[in-house]
Amino acid sequence: MSLPPTMGDLTVLLPVVTLVVFASLTLLFGVFTRERAALAGLALTGVIAALAFTVFLWLDARAAGAPVVALGGAFRGDALAFAFSFIILVGAGLALVLADGHRVRLHLDQPEFHPLLLLAAAGGLVLVSAGDLVTALLGLEIMSLAVYVLAAWRERSRVSEEAGMKYFLLGAFASAVLVYGIALTFGATGHFDFAGIAVAAAAPDFAARGLLLLGALLLLVGLAFKVAFAPFHQWLPDVYTGAPTPVTAFMSVVVKTAAFGALLRTTGSLVEPLGVGAIGEVLPAVLAVLVGLTMVVGNFGALLQSGVKRMLAYSAVAHAGYVGLAVLVGGAAGIQAASYYLLTYTFTSVAAFAVLLSLMDDDDRGDRLERLAGLGRRRPWLAAALAVVMLSLAGFPPFAGFVGKAVVFQAAIAAGHASLAVLGIATAVVAVVFYARVVMTMYLREPDAHTPATRPVRRRTAVVMALGVAATLVLGVFPGLWLDWIARAPWWSAGF
Amino acid sequence: MIAALMVLLPLAVALALPWAKRPEVHRPLAVVGVAATLVLGVLATGDAGSLEVSWVPALGTWFAVDATGAGGVLARIAAAVMLPTVLWAGARVDDRPQLFLAWLLATLAGLTGIFLARDLVLFYVFWELTLLPALAMLAGWGLTHRRAATVKYLLYAVAGSFAMFLSVLAIRPLSGAEGYRFDQLLAAAPLLDPLTQAWIFAGFAFAFAIKLPIFPLHAWLIDVHEQNHPSGAADVAGTLYKVGGFGLFAWAMPLLPEGADALAPLGLALGAFTAVYAAMIATRHAHLKRALAYASLSHMGIVAVGLFSLHLAGQSGSMALLAAQMVTTGGMFLVSGMLHDRRGSFELDAFGGLARGAPALAAVTLVVLFASVGVPGLANFPGEFLSLLGAFQSAPAAAVVAVLASIALGAFAVGLYQRVFQGEARERATEIKPLEVAVFAPIVALTLWLGVAPAANLAAFEREAGAAEVAAAPLVPPADAEASGGAR
Repeated sequence: MSLPPTMGDLTVLLPVVTLVVFASLTLLFGVFTRERAALAGLALTGVIAALAFTVFLWLDARAAGAPVVALGGAFRGDALAFAFSFIILVGAGLALVLADGHRVRLHLDQPEFHPLLLLAAAGGLVLVSAGDLVTALLGLEIMSLAVYVLAAWRERSRVSEEAGMKYFLLGAFASAVLVYGIALTFGATGHFDFAGIAVAAAAPDFAARGLLLLGALLLLVGLAFKVAFAPFHQWLPDVYTGAPTPVTAFMSVVVKTAAFGALLRTTGSLVEPLGVGAIGEVLPAVLAVLVGLTMVVGNFGALLQSGVKRMLAYSAVAHAGYVGLAVLVGGAAGIQAASYYLLTYTFTSVAAFAVLLSLMDDDDRGDRLERLAGLGRRRPWLAAALAVVMLSLAGFPPFAGFVGKAVVFQAAIAAGHASLAVLGIATAVVAVVFYARVVMTMYLREPDAHTPATRPVRRRTAVVMALGVAATLVLGVFPGLWLDWIARAPWWSAGF
Repeated sequence: MIAALMVLLPLAVALALPWAKRPEVHRPLAVVGVAATLVLGVLATGDAGSLEVSWVPALGTWFAVDATGAGGVLARIAAAVMLPTVLWAGARVDDRPQLFLAWLLATLAGLTGIFLARDLVLFYVFWELTLLPALAMLAGWGLTHRRAATVKYLLYAVAGSFAMFLSVLAIRPLSGAEGYRFDQLLAAAPLLDPLTQAWIFAGFAFAFAIKLPIFPLHAWLIDVHEQNHPSGAADVAGTLYKVGGFGLFAWAMPLLPEGADALAPLGLALGAFTAVYAAMIATRHAHLKRALAYASLSHMGIVAVGLFSLHLAGQSGSMALLAAQMVTTGGMFLVSGMLHDRRGSFELDAFGGLARGAPALAAVTLVVLFASVGVPGLANFPGEFLSLLGAFQSAPAAAVVAVLASIALGAFAVGLYQRVFQGEARERATEIKPLEVAVFAPIVALTLWLGVAPAANLAAFEREAGAAEVAAAPLVPPADAEASGGAR
């Protein structure tokens, strides 16, 4: 495992290496040039190159019909890793363009901004590709450290500082829990790598099942902070509200996707070693409780918000609950459902924040619902884009959010979690209320004297919006583009 | 292929309408779109009448449409009713008429999809899609209290459709069916154990009861009709959208026969009560549109009684009634728009004596109104008669109660006609106009056709109701049920 990396290893690592190289380049150029637009272009080039490498490796692995590994198994290129890396890079690219469109106004043009964004994405890639717990921790920390800084980016903003601080403290706490979980798991099995854990636990004389369970639960809690399962979601609304909106968009897609990739891998590879019987049932049961609680807390929380950005924050919690249902299902079906859900959520969420950015004040404040009054007539295109996004998030066909819910709930029912599916649908009815409230405010309420004028939409923001809305529609009408592509991989369930 | 075009064509026209810059092309474009859909519907027979394309293999869903069965009949009638509606709306809606017409066309596309879909997920998609135009027309063109009515409608509709969503998602994995196509589900779902069937059926029935609607889930309907645009065009779309009965007939009952059996007593009781209760209210109401809404609610009660009789005659009769009320209730809502033109109000007190100035208008209204309450020889009679006949065979008590409703509806029609057209005229009413004649022509023609020659349509409905009953019979399990039922 401590062998020097070979050329083959480097090939598998290429997407991560690309991101890191471009992060360094952007940082370096940032010191010498004042041409900020060029830096954003450079960073975007890095993301696109990493995306191209990921797709290339993915196709290659598909053709070979087997996952690729690097660094003695510490870094894996399997279907889970590729699918989630793809989503992370798409989300990172969209967030980058979004940030660039509002760079000056939101003071995102210091030279450190883009490198941090790229590093966070690189950490996410490592996290979803990790073949052992230490690599996963490494990826998580690379990603989180960068995002702590990004969340506190707004100058002279107490809210933003509070957001960064809160995220940092709770994140550090979550990491500590995670490390403890890793230690216990190692203590129980003598292994860090997922394959080794499974082998050790399968041995007939394996006696430390209780310890392994404790380790698994701590791992679950640690990751639950990152994906924001209730009751570990407390940081999220404040952080999402306080962070600069492009960073919020980034967090809601990239950080969430990466954490879910890790959660799928961790729970997926620990459920079986825990075995059948009372001990084996604890982890799924705890996860089920967290998922149910998350759906309820997220949706009812969103119902009570008067700010759109904060509503989207709670709605992010709610959607984490739905993805959590797919994690609970696990296996190929779970990965398929979760990846589709997260991919479509990436597009819709970024598009939502893109519209929001065009409506908020110069200092990135002012997200009250009333500002949307009469938007349907004042800005028909902007309103239509937001309406599509809201309908998709609410789960209306023919938009992607509908298919996302369909695959997740169908998988859950097939796996015997009918009661959670019922709870999910019941909370989704609640969700319709707050999503519809946005649409109805835009189309039914007349603007009054206090309704501020909207700013013209920047071209780059418009591109993000158009991409998000188009993908929401295309993936909704032709979900097979992703679902069948994923389902056709014969090595999905080949273990982790 | 033609069947698919029946859905796609109105959708394409709906998408094109907002882009048409010149106002004078809006109405012709919409009318041509609807007429073409109707022509396609007539042409969609035999092989051209159905299409099956795999849609999302990972979910097991198909783009499967079929215009040759009961759904095809309803789709054609819906298009035929939409024709005068579009004609009327294009002339009477002043505010952004092209958008209103686009929503009407979208409604037609969605409705056609609901009626033709032979895949359950596809059916659900169209079911939900059609909600958007209904909400948009209410929210965008409604009266003062439209906001509250929209919210109410949305909540009812979404609560229902999400319950159905759950049933849709559950029925395939639980039954082990290969896919969501009707024949695939029919091979597996009826073999589910009775309790599971009852639960899944309950999910469907909840959604369909809201859309039928029947008591106690009907509260949204009245407000929606009251607050809709005074032309009545959106109300016609709403009337066509009462597809709950069709959902029970085409999906829930054949797929889940034991579930239907378990919930039939409840359905019969609620249906019979709805029929009488709504008819009584209708006779007393002083607001034209609310009264019409209650009368239509009463029909829906009879539809429910016919369906839940689980009897061949009752079920095919209830579909015939559903088809007929599209024409007659829809026609009455168009009449309400014409009356509003003349008096600027829907309060019945504002009317009276209109027959003196507008005898022709009075005469055609009389035909449509009496057809709607089931006068023999006109549209609603065959369906109403068969619904009640079927109910008498299997559930006499419910049938007796429901018969009272048709008596009350007769009183309602006479009372309404008197209050509007007879008595002292406060001011002279304008006689029927050429546009109104054009609007009435298809409505009256359909009313007579459905009343005089119901046999062809009834045969189509009966074939489907009969097929479902054969499939449900436990002695004749479908051939491939054993193979696919293993996962249960």
